[in-house]
Amino acid sequence: MRAIFIKALADLRRRRLQATVIFLTVLFAMAAGTTAVTLMSQTRDPYQVAFEKQRGAHLQVAFRPNTDPQLIQGTAATIGASAYGGPYPASNIQFRFGDRKFYVDAVGRDNPGGAVEVLNITSGRWPVANDEIVLTRSFSELNKISVGDRLKVTSVAQTPTLTVVGEVVDIDEGSADLSSQRAWMLPAALPALSTPDSSFYLMDYRFPSDPTGPQLQTSLGLLKTSLPPGSVAGALTYLLIGSIFNITNQILTGVLVAFSVFALAATVAIVATLVTGIVISAYREIGIMRAVGFTPYQVVQVFALQIVMPALAACLVGVTAGTLASQPLLANSSHALGLAYRPTFSIGLDLLLFAGGILVVAVAATVPALRAGMLKPIVAITKASAPRGSGGRMLRHAAARLRLPRPVVLGIGDAFARPLRAALTLITVLLGVATVVVAVGLPRSFELINNSETGAGKYQVVVTRSSAYPDSDVMRVLNAQPETARVVASGGQNVIVPGVGDPVNTRLFRGDSSRLGYMVVAGRWYSAPGEVVAPAALMHDAHLKIGDSFTGTANGQPLQLRLVGETYDINNLGHSLFMDIATMASVTPAVEPFLYDVTLAPGSDVSAYVRRVAAVEPDLLDVRASDTSTIAPVKIIDLVLLILAGVLALIGVGGVFNTVLLNTRERIHDTATLKALGMSPRQVIVMVGASAGLLALVGGLVAMPLGLSLHHVLNDVISNSAGNETPPVAYAVFNAYELVLIPLLGVGVAIAAALIPGRWAARTNVVEVLHAE
Amino acid sequence: MDGRTFFRAFRGGGGGKNGMSELVRLTEVTKVYQGGITGALNGVSLLVEKGEFTAIMGPSGSGKSTLLNLVAGLDRPTSGSVAVGGMDLGKLGEAGLARFRRDNIGFVFQFFYLLPNLTSLENVLIPAQLKGSEATARARELLGQLGIQDIADRFPARLSGGQQQRVAIARALINSPTLLLADEPTGALDTHTGDQVMELLGKLNRDGQTILLVTHDAKLATRHAARVISVMDGKIVDDARLESPERAASEVIRVRSEEASR
Ligand SMILES: Nc1ncnc2c1ncn2[C@@H]1O[C@H](COP(=O)(O)OP(=O)(O)OP(=O)(O)O)[C@@H](O)[C@H]1O
Ligand SMILES: [Mg+2]
Repeated sequence: MRAIFIKALADLRRRRLQATVIFLTVLFAMAAGTTAVTLMSQTRDPYQVAFEKQRGAHLQVAFRPNTDPQLIQGTAATIGASAYGGPYPASNIQFRFGDRKFYVDAVGRDNPGGAVEVLNITSGRWPVANDEIVLTRSFSELNKISVGDRLKVTSVAQTPTLTVVGEVVDIDEGSADLSSQRAWMLPAALPALSTPDSSFYLMDYRFPSDPTGPQLQTSLGLLKTSLPPGSVAGALTYLLIGSIFNITNQILTGVLVAFSVFALAATVAIVATLVTGIVISAYREIGIMRAVGFTPYQVVQVFALQIVMPALAACLVGVTAGTLASQPLLANSSHALGLAYRPTFSIGLDLLLFAGGILVVAVAATVPALRAGMLKPIVAITKASAPRGSGGRMLRHAAARLRLPRPVVLGIGDAFARPLRAALTLITVLLGVATVVVAVGLPRSFELINNSETGAGKYQVVVTRSSAYPDSDVMRVLNAQPETARVVASGGQNVIVPGVGDPVNTRLFRGDSSRLGYMVVAGRWYSAPGEVVAPAALMHDAHLKIGDSFTGTANGQPLQLRLVGETYDINNLGHSLFMDIATMASVTPAVEPFLYDVTLAPGSDVSAYVRRVAAVEPDLLDVRASDTSTIAPVKIIDLVLLILAGVLALIGVGGVFNTVLLNTRERIHDTATLKALGMSPRQVIVMVGASAGLLALVGGLVAMPLGLSLHHVLNDVISNSAGNETPPVAYAVFNAYELVLIPLLGVGVAIAAALIPGRWAARTNVVEVLHAE
Repeated sequence: MDGRTFFRAFRGGGGGKNGMSELVRLTEVTKVYQGGITGALNGVSLLVEKGEFTAIMGPSGSGKSTLLNLVAGLDRPTSGSVAVGGMDLGKLGEAGLARFRRDNIGFVFQFFYLLPNLTSLENVLIPAQLKGSEATARARELLGQLGIQDIADRFPARLSGGQQQRVAIARALINSPTLLLADEPTGALDTHTGDQVMELLGKLNRDGQTILLVTHDAKLATRHAARVISVMDGKIVDDARLESPERAASEVIRVRSEEASR
């Protein structure tokens, strides 16, 4: 064993450059993999922990204000709930803080405890007076409101002022950046803040064990039939909330897992290439080792150990780095759930990853090393090196026919002289380039979708009126401004769609809604009353195809609708409808718009406009510049993608570098001969560069379609997880020149990397090389 | 065979009376390899005329290959100067030396050093292609002259040693070098094949090719070369210009016996 170690260590010292390549590639692959696995194993946990700890509601149902509270309370028994909370009186209120306005669902509750939906107070206290309110911490943090701040309620004529006395974490709603938020007050305070339109009852149910989605739907159906028709205004399941909490981490984990597998595959390819290369170049040495008494098994060990030793160090650093890198993401999610952050990792898991990494590397190293072990000593000792590869003939001929300079032709032949090695190298290049394609494309797709959701470039100002200020006045004010180019007003109404459990949130537009930036995935945008568009999830649940007609129900009145197009909208995970407000003309009471998307004339001063319009009616109008910034989770995913692309690109370069290094070393004798025949140092560098360039070019060309389809698939996975189908424009985010530029850039980088072995070959002393023979 | 070519060449080798015909000039050349205790060459001065067929002989390790490598510009002397065709090689950079070799030198090695993944024809073409010229017609003509036209498309691994060495000679000649260097070109061949290769070199010389040959084989050397230089311990110990091959033979035999008695 000692001899094996000494020999392996000595070899390692001699092959420092290659050890470095191994170390870095294994390090990157392990760090990415560990981050992914740590995230994956932990993300489900914190939500469940918090859900149990705060006795989260499996089902929450909103009831119309005219429903009898006694009846509501009875539903708990009807559907077999083991515990319930409520019914709580609730009202959607608008308040002003500074110059901004916000909506929350104010819920009347005596205390934060109870059998269901325990509210975890993270700062301040529970309200004791009617003018006190508690907000979710998520909401407070997002909007920079703190305990002690005063909020002016603008949704009722009296405009009372409330004081924030506490912040809580509520396990039964999503985070503020992804969903609307609740606030809590004493039940006695609510009547003064309610209007007939805005109030409802909220009821929480908890079941003996965690129900499945269909089970929840059955319970909901049972509940509805036990009440007068139209009593239920909406419902929310813990599954949906859990997925809102986990969506970022889910996407992130998916991306990380996919690319960790990439990184590991690339590493295996490099390790196998390297060991094969070392075995080839050490033929005589193997013979000598055998002659002095190494057994075949020991020879294999010597070669495998050379790889495993740097890999060991890399796994150690990589697993640690990956565990650390996952912590901010985990801390983020436990914070959102109101759990105290404690470093979350498991030594066992890390050890497993560590062992797994080593095992993969060891196997990748051992398989080619077996060849060395099986070599007959006499064969090995009489041949200085393995038979030289003789592939690449056809390529060379093709290159010669293209009348490329001879050094280029020779280099091209060298690139594929050993087909297996070339193939392994292509894999590393392929994965690197494909990842770069995804990292370039996906953020652009996200941005496109974000722009469409936020109307970036389509409208600049969003105005919301409170019910005390009539629609006609808003329109008069807006139209009086010289910069106003276009106003699209919209209102909301719930529509019951056959086959869909919950009432569907429907946006009703007045004006040219086709210019708000909504993306059309298929079909077309609506153009007449009666026509609707919807995202994929709704179409799926309602079994609707484009062109289908169906009868919806709004306010208990039938509504004749025809689906003319599919759009993209992640709100309610793809369950919404879009139509002209005129479609609702027959429905009473008439829906009035309350939201106004204002497009300004080009070059207008947006903030001046906002200030001027807001000043008209500070309490009753909420005027703000449209916020088109990307949400934090998307930014995190973009960043992680960028890092992964960098890592895989580096591994790809490492693969090319490694192969060119091996090829150059193996062929140094031929190169020396060529130099003796008059090949200039520049021509030598060109030759080596050409072989690297060709590998990168072929890898890059194959990688482009792969990268594009990967981009396609990831887009679909992400869109689908939000209940949508990818809009075609989100696929087509690449310019034609980029499709050429990315592989060319790869070629450039590969050639640059080849300069190191290239210059080494150009500088070698012909006499010494030939003398050594 | 035109005997006059031979004699003109021979007379050209008569001690550098004509400056125009001087081809190689070594002045006080020493070469000490890294780690070498004594020099591989110790103050060698030598003049080779155009058209000469010079054989360099000496025991193993005496510096013959070193001398040839310096003339080819494959290595640089530790001191002294090497000039070929009036060009001081010490003044050339790496790229300049490569160009110099490509244009002026043909090199034939003991172990052929054909590129294994190229066919015979492709091997022959390499030096021309490195210059950027295609010379397929000339390459085929050379293969024809050397009697190996039918193996043009075969790979070196499928050729006999003699065939490989002929391909190597064709490769050395493709750019019509002013100087043909051959380091034990018969060393890896059997006697009969070796004879054939030497015959070929002799014929080339009679056609005007200047040749500098390193060999162990006194008989082969004296049969074809008109001048035999003996090297020992990095020094020229004898320089025999022979009017006839027979003379050369006896001269060499004298040197050999001296060598043997050392
Ligand atoms: N690249 C080198 N590095 C170190 N020493 C060298 C090198 N090449 C040659 N030598 C040494 O220089 C001396 C002369 O070597 P050279 O190859 O010129 O001899 P030679 O006359 O050609 O011998 P042989 O007949 O065996 O080919 C020898 O002692 C040799 O060991
Ligand atoms: Mg020699």
